[in-house]
Amino acid sequence: MPSPTAPPVAATLFAYQVGFGDCFLLRFTYADDSRRHIMIEFGTTGLTLKSPKDQMLRIANDVKEKCGGKLDVVVATHRHADHISGFATNKGKGSGDVIASLKPERVLQPWTEAPDVPVDSLGPDPKAGKQAFSSRRSALKQMHKTARIAVESIANGKLTMPLALADQLRFIGEDNLSNKSAVENLMTMGKNVYVFHGCDPKLGDFLPGIEVTVLGPPTLHQTDTIRKQRSRDVDEFWQMAPRRFAEAGGGDDGGKLFPNAPVFNLRLAEARWVAERIDKAQGEMMLGLVRALDAQMNNTSVILLFKAGSKSLLFPGDAQLENWRYALSTPLAAKLDDVDLYKVGHHGSLNATPKSMWNRFKKRGKTGTPDRLTSVMSTRDGKHGSTDSGTEVPRSKLVTELEAQSELVDTRDLSEDQLCSVIEIDLR
Amino acid sequence: MVTEASKARPPMAAMPFRPLTIIAKDPGLRIGGKDGPMAFAQVDVAAEKLAKGPIGYRIKVVDYNATDRVTYQDMQEYEDAKGQPVDPFAPRPGESFEDSKYQARLIGDPNFHAQNAYAIAMRTLWQFEHALGRRVRWSFGGHQLHIAPHAFAQANAFYSEPDRTLMFGYFRNAKGEAIYTSLSHDIVAHETTHALLDGLRTHFTEPSLPDQAALHEGFADIVALFSVFSIKQVVAAAIGEDGTYAKEDGRVALVKASKLSLEALQKSVFMGIGAQFGRALNDASELRRSVLRTPKDFIPDTGDEHDRGELIVAILTQTFVTLWHKRIGALGKFGRKYNLGMVVDEGAKLAQQLLTMCIRGLDYCPPTDIDFGQFLAGVLTCDREVAPDDSQFNYREVLRDTAAGYGVHPPADQCDDEGCWKQFAPKEPLSYMRSNFAAMTQSKDELFRFLWENRDEFHISTRAFSKVLSIDAAHRTGPDGINLCETICQYSQRVDLYGAETKSVLGFDRPTDMSSKTAYTSFGGGVLILDQYGQVKYHICNPLDGGQRQFDRLVHLSDTGELDGRKRIGAMRFALCHMDRMGA
Repeated sequence: MPSPTAPPVAATLFAYQVGFGDCFLLRFTYADDSRRHIMIEFGTTGLTLKSPKDQMLRIANDVKEKCGGKLDVVVATHRHADHISGFATNKGKGSGDVIASLKPERVLQPWTEAPDVPVDSLGPDPKAGKQAFSSRRSALKQMHKTARIAVESIANGKLTMPLALADQLRFIGEDNLSNKSAVENLMTMGKNVYVFHGCDPKLGDFLPGIEVTVLGPPTLHQTDTIRKQRSRDVDEFWQMAPRRFAEAGGGDDGGKLFPNAPVFNLRLAEARWVAERIDKAQGEMMLGLVRALDAQMNNTSVILLFKAGSKSLLFPGDAQLENWRYALSTPLAAKLDDVDLYKVGHHGSLNATPKSMWNRFKKRGKTGTPDRLTSVMSTRDGKHGSTDSGTEVPRSKLVTELEAQSELVDTRDLSEDQLCSVIEIDLR
Repeated sequence: MVTEASKARPPMAAMPFRPLTIIAKDPGLRIGGKDGPMAFAQVDVAAEKLAKGPIGYRIKVVDYNATDRVTYQDMQEYEDAKGQPVDPFAPRPGESFEDSKYQARLIGDPNFHAQNAYAIAMRTLWQFEHALGRRVRWSFGGHQLHIAPHAFAQANAFYSEPDRTLMFGYFRNAKGEAIYTSLSHDIVAHETTHALLDGLRTHFTEPSLPDQAALHEGFADIVALFSVFSIKQVVAAAIGEDGTYAKEDGRVALVKASKLSLEALQKSVFMGIGAQFGRALNDASELRRSVLRTPKDFIPDTGDEHDRGELIVAILTQTFVTLWHKRIGALGKFGRKYNLGMVVDEGAKLAQQLLTMCIRGLDYCPPTDIDFGQFLAGVLTCDREVAPDDSQFNYREVLRDTAAGYGVHPPADQCDDEGCWKQFAPKEPLSYMRSNFAAMTQSKDELFRFLWENRDEFHISTRAFSKVLSIDAAHRTGPDGINLCETICQYSQRVDLYGAETKSVLGFDRPTDMSSKTAYTSFGGGVLILDQYGQVKYHICNPLDGGQRQFDRLVHLSDTGELDGRKRIGAMRFALCHMDRMGA
């Protein structure tokens, strides 16, 4: 079929019910009725209680049907389970096998996923080159290892901490576990493109008439221009993290601190009050460490802006402030002013919708505002953070703002028998 | 190594101090080179009837380890049968502080770590009480601050106000060797200072503009750095002798002039923080060395509170190095060498003076939403009150000029030409008719009555919750030997608002991106300095109707997600802050 030359005239966004996770199918329709399909994310870390067990497979088959057996582009913004778990394969019968059979022309991922220094991207600091890149890759690997230790420590009872803390630690830990099957599938299902701020993803042949701007993630070199702390310092910290985490959890690495010192195994009356608090502080710090690695991983997110016809559609993955900060400091930030559709970052956490970004959207406004901004949020209550600490996801304060200032499409509003929300967008 | 403690001691009841062994500065400080011995020393600690733990009247050591889930038994006695103080970790007969076996024995004994943390915390407390001339409270209301010297296997140490505890973690370096934060004088003094500062200015832990949190971190470093200079024998040993000069009555240790250049002093071990911790964690020579940070390093201002904290440390340490270098230059020389003892003496005097100025200056700081310029004004004003003539050593002049070089100035509209607060000059005469000075120094209600009666002059909002936080007598002796007597009264106000109420209560339009339903808390407050006649000499405040400062605070907290005050909550405020600093 010859490629259309004019921009598409319509877009349809299918926002699937994956509970706590993201899965979108973006369809562009041209004047000659031809279509292009982009699958953006496919993951969950907690389906809704009413979703069937084979929900991910049902979604994969639905995508297959909707795209007519052919995907043009797959986007996996970062390697968190709630964004890629659906790409996992299972002897030809998994949801990832279905997606692989759709033979996407291109698979977009952040430069941090490249197996070697990305060709012609010079993602890392050109001066530090290969070494800096491998250091970053290694740091990400160590983060997975830390997450695994966290999950195992909770499971085997090595860590003593309040239940609520343990639940949060387990949830974030599981999201950061390495998903080898999904990662390998993404590496082989189509030609990989590893992107970074300002690069050309070269999708023109597959998405004619559509401008795709990559706003994030920044490279190490770009990051260092806005941070005084060198990225390599951060990477070095993470190299040691698994061992430190294991030690903190009473692992076997170092043994007892003072094996021969006389001790009380009971908590004496004079120590009891403070000992309980030290236990809690210990748990809080371990959670803080896992949260930090979660944020580091989120900040590898690809931020994509599609400009088609008269509309701009923004898909920022789970990018948080540190990722956004660079994008907002560059001339490309001006493209955010005209955003028409915003995929809410990180399932509605406050950190992923920084005010400095949100405030740029000129089409925000009360109900009745012409060409009002549409926000699309895929999330589930009660899985991430807590209301008491103001870390709940989605954050009620943000949801209130999204409802007040945009047309909010929320996957929590889907009924039991609905597989996805459908958002029609006129691009003319 | 020389000890501070005297061998012949009077009965304990008559002694203000007792000797205890500690590690001076940091286990990373090695005498005579990187493979040399650690700097153990016996130092004076305020005497008290110590219980096992050690547990004293202000510090209670609880050696609970959450990772190993055990509590270490304290096997030590701190008094002999006659009630005389005992230093259980003093070298035994035939041992010296430098012996490797002795040092290894102490490093391997959790009881020594407990004593080390106790002694350093007590010495830090003494620094504050000595400077202020009064007892200093903990902010949580009780008398004893807990110290957990091996709280958990984490590369972290912090003060937790709700837990009334300083928690010190430990971790293992790349070789598998344990690194104990409770053994570092730098870290123990730093964390104790957080607790002391919280006791003096409890609102400094509230979310505010970056300077406020930065001051907490910076002040803690300043105390940690300067307090080490009082352990003169360690300072001398670390600088190192370069020969001696024989005199009839003994020998004089000498030091080469080249070791005492400005650059050399800046790079000396005493200007760095956390050597062992820094090496083990980041493969760096230390955690921080703020003295080497130039004004350009702080441009642009990233708004990062940790980074900004180093700015105030850089100002104070640059001031110290400048003045020390100048005073060393005024000493007599032995060829190209100086008298080491006198060099150290000058450093100790100077460090003590600057530390005292900083601590006293807190009394002259507003209790809420402080910035570096206001802290500087507080330090300069308090020092001028005690010592109007600065011409001999130029402490204030050098401090003011150094701060200006870093872009920090006392607030011009509230200060005079010397950078000191202007004296209180009400538009209308204050009403003293319904107040009793004697009662005001005793009763917070009576003091608030005085504030209320004069609320227009003091900018007291009638719509806020108000509280007199403290009334303290300050007695300071100036260089002329004359006592300066003042009463320091601290009050605060808080108001919980919605965005829509901003204009009516705070007096300005809410930030454009704040919704009418956004909930937030604002603070105001001030310090009244009453002179010996009970008259208001200074009123140093950041009121609720403070206009631009309150507006800037709202914008900053909104940008950083701290508007609801929950980003850094209670116990974990300093813990997570320190984790951020480590790059996590």
